[in-house]
Amino acid sequence: MNTKLKVSEISKIYPGCVANDEISLEFGSGKIYALLGENGAGKSTLVKILSGVVRPDKGEVFLNDKSIKLNSPLDAKKNNIGMVFQHFNLFETLSVFENLSIDSDKKNEDLRLSVNNILKKYNFKIDLDIPVLNLSAGQKQKVEIIRCLIRNPKVLIMDEPTSVLTEQETEDLFVSLKQFSDEGILIIYITHKLKEVLSLCDEVAVMRKGKVVSVSKTKEEKIETLANKMVGENLSTIKKKINNFKYSEEILKISNLNFRSDDPYETNLINLNFSLKKGECLGIAGISGNGQSELFQILSGEIITDYTSIKFRDKEISKLNPRERREYLMAFSPEDRISQAAVPELKIYENVALNNFKSSNFFEKGLVNEQKIKEHSKKILSNFSVNTDNVEMKSQFLSGGNLQKLIIGRELITSPELLVCFNPTWGLDVGAINYIHETLININEKGKSSILISTDNDELLKLSDRICVIYKGKLSKIMYVNEVTPEKLGILMGGGSID
Amino acid sequence: MIKIEKRNDVSPSIYFLTPILAIFLTLFGGGIIFYVLGFNPLEALKFFFITPISDLYGFSELLVKATPLCLIAIGLSFCFKSNNWNIGAEGQLIFGGIVGGGVALLFYGHDGFYVLPIIILSGAIGGMIFAMIPAVLKTYLNTNEILVSLMLVYVAKLLLDYLVVGPWSNPEGFNFPETRQFSESARMPILFDGLRIHAGIFITLITVFLSWLILYKTYLGFQIKVSGLSLKTAKYAGYKGKAMIIIVFMISGACAGLAGVGEITGPIGQLHRNISPDYGFTAIIVAFLGRLNPLGIIFASLIVALTYLGAETAQIFLQVPKYTGQVFQGMILFFLLGSDYLLFFKIKFLGLKKNEL
Repeated sequence: MNTKLKVSEISKIYPGCVANDEISLEFGSGKIYALLGENGAGKSTLVKILSGVVRPDKGEVFLNDKSIKLNSPLDAKKNNIGMVFQHFNLFETLSVFENLSIDSDKKNEDLRLSVNNILKKYNFKIDLDIPVLNLSAGQKQKVEIIRCLIRNPKVLIMDEPTSVLTEQETEDLFVSLKQFSDEGILIIYITHKLKEVLSLCDEVAVMRKGKVVSVSKTKEEKIETLANKMVGENLSTIKKKINNFKYSEEILKISNLNFRSDDPYETNLINLNFSLKKGECLGIAGISGNGQSELFQILSGEIITDYTSIKFRDKEISKLNPRERREYLMAFSPEDRISQAAVPELKIYENVALNNFKSSNFFEKGLVNEQKIKEHSKKILSNFSVNTDNVEMKSQFLSGGNLQKLIIGRELITSPELLVCFNPTWGLDVGAINYIHETLININEKGKSSILISTDNDELLKLSDRICVIYKGKLSKIMYVNEVTPEKLGILMGGGSID
Repeated sequence: MIKIEKRNDVSPSIYFLTPILAIFLTLFGGGIIFYVLGFNPLEALKFFFITPISDLYGFSELLVKATPLCLIAIGLSFCFKSNNWNIGAEGQLIFGGIVGGGVALLFYGHDGFYVLPIIILSGAIGGMIFAMIPAVLKTYLNTNEILVSLMLVYVAKLLLDYLVVGPWSNPEGFNFPETRQFSESARMPILFDGLRIHAGIFITLITVFLSWLILYKTYLGFQIKVSGLSLKTAKYAGYKGKAMIIIVFMISGACAGLAGVGEITGPIGQLHRNISPDYGFTAIIVAFLGRLNPLGIIFASLIVALTYLGAETAQIFLQVPKYTGQVFQGMILFFLLGSDYLLFFKIKFLGLKKNEL
């Protein structure tokens, strides 16, 4: 079965942004195609057009030389185009089989038969009758893939599929994808991870600012060449100096930290112990949902546990709220930029005022000192290269990267002794990621400490001095970064042990 | 096919202009209703909105009605701005009236400058304590403040009923459900002879100014604003969320209590069953029509007060029931919510393409 998919001169314009600008690409079955680009390059828009979620302003899609109309996701299904989104569309409390039967028009017996065939054929091990919430991220993704396979897809589109997977699950996924490709399914793989492009795909189309800037065979590409095409400039790669902290002073000590939650969607933390030295960066790896968010909130003081013992510079701070902890020179950058670290509806200087010290005098005798806050904000905007100097602007008009620079700047401008950050570069483009990484390395070089909770292993390996893994609320042993490999992290993240 | 999309950018000037649009639409809608009822719409609207304030007495009455509405609405704006849905201001008003009225009866026959301030203060405290019930239940037992504050309205109403029929009823009152007339020392000073406008208007104006100061110029106001926009951010910034819920309810309750005590020591002069024509509920409309903004609330309270007056005039001249006033209040809210919806969302009419047929 030979499939040819062609998009021709596709354009989609959103107010103030050209998401797709005259995009023309051709795909043929038997190959895996990578669609590579930064956030905001237009990959998602193109993919949404192919899956019928978004209608293009201009242009046509041809399947086997026939023009097809994709006005709704249903049209995409009718044309045998399957799509696995980055965020799963599954009902957590329903069983796997119930989830599969929801959008299937087959009889239950027939459906079970064909699902079992798929499971056997691709060696997927999933119990069809347990609720989806008991599955790992990798298994959930397989359920989504099975949902597509039931319909005998000609085209399968995967949107950043590995962002939630462990190393091992990623390898399994790649094996399956190659198998699908050998069977004649045309695979389009969307990612911004360069290594995956090189190890999995046959051809790669790079997108930048809504345009296709290059189409090439992956054999002819290297990480550096792809990175430069993606960003459009030569990137300097920063490296961290390896430090020896043997004689350095201990700044933070967590002993026997336990957290039990009544909320079934939160993770309990079990007996955490670690300490942090001056100038050190401790990386905490793990697949999201293993207790990172709870740990961050306990460190920041948003959650106060009775059993916690947190000593910061020899002072017991377990009972203090976030504002009081800031007075002790701690700083926090949460994962959720848009609804936690900052409020988009507030002006820039108002968001700066969220981080308020007694000594900063933002609020003298209970009154707002706008003048002072604005001056302080201007300083942050220029010191941390945020691309505006208008402190009266609403924060919602800042791009993700600039908002994160503002937040990191707000937290760092008071030179705290410890910065706790959670996925600081999540969803940012390469330029902003580089800037944030440089900043984080910089504070360690100045003798300040940091805790980096992240789901991005490359970032952890690049920035941390020591790394441990959080799995189901428990911490693995802490390792020096030079003894850690991505494989080891992957095993620990999946709940395995490495000794 | 119709598609509804969120608008990203709403300009502030339009945000404050839509309430005015809503008022004009209400006039238009009201005209249609009068026309259907067989009146000349323009003349009817004139009776409703112009006749009542065409003389000094009418204008004074307008201020008498606007005084409690504005006071309650400004208190509610503290709650609404911080995402606390206090809809029991009517109950807080009545309870403030009960406490203030009780103290007034206690001082029956006393003279002295201190009597009125004590009554006013106790009324404010009464409203404040009554408002703390839903706030404390919300913070410590996770109850829903909308339900609790609303149900407490009926508790206050029934308590007032019991008191004026039973223990507090006027011994010389032939079993009418009302208390004695308060003595002169317990009454709000009248500003002009022959008019009912009383010193309560100054309490309202001072409260509006203080509220503006607190909401826009203080740390507390900033915390209220942040909590209203994102509770997660407030928690992350280290604001004491529980304390703030209780504080905004206390402010709101105190304002409603003040309004209640202003009514019974002002125009009414005693306690009886109907000390408030639903001011506490109508003030919710005032608060939103005024965009939770102190200046806006002053204007909104005048306009809504006019619907009370207009209803009375219309009852006399057009023989329509005075509940027409509530119809107008309802229309204002309806058109305000409607134009807000169009302000924040746009509706796209997509033509049907041939292949969809």
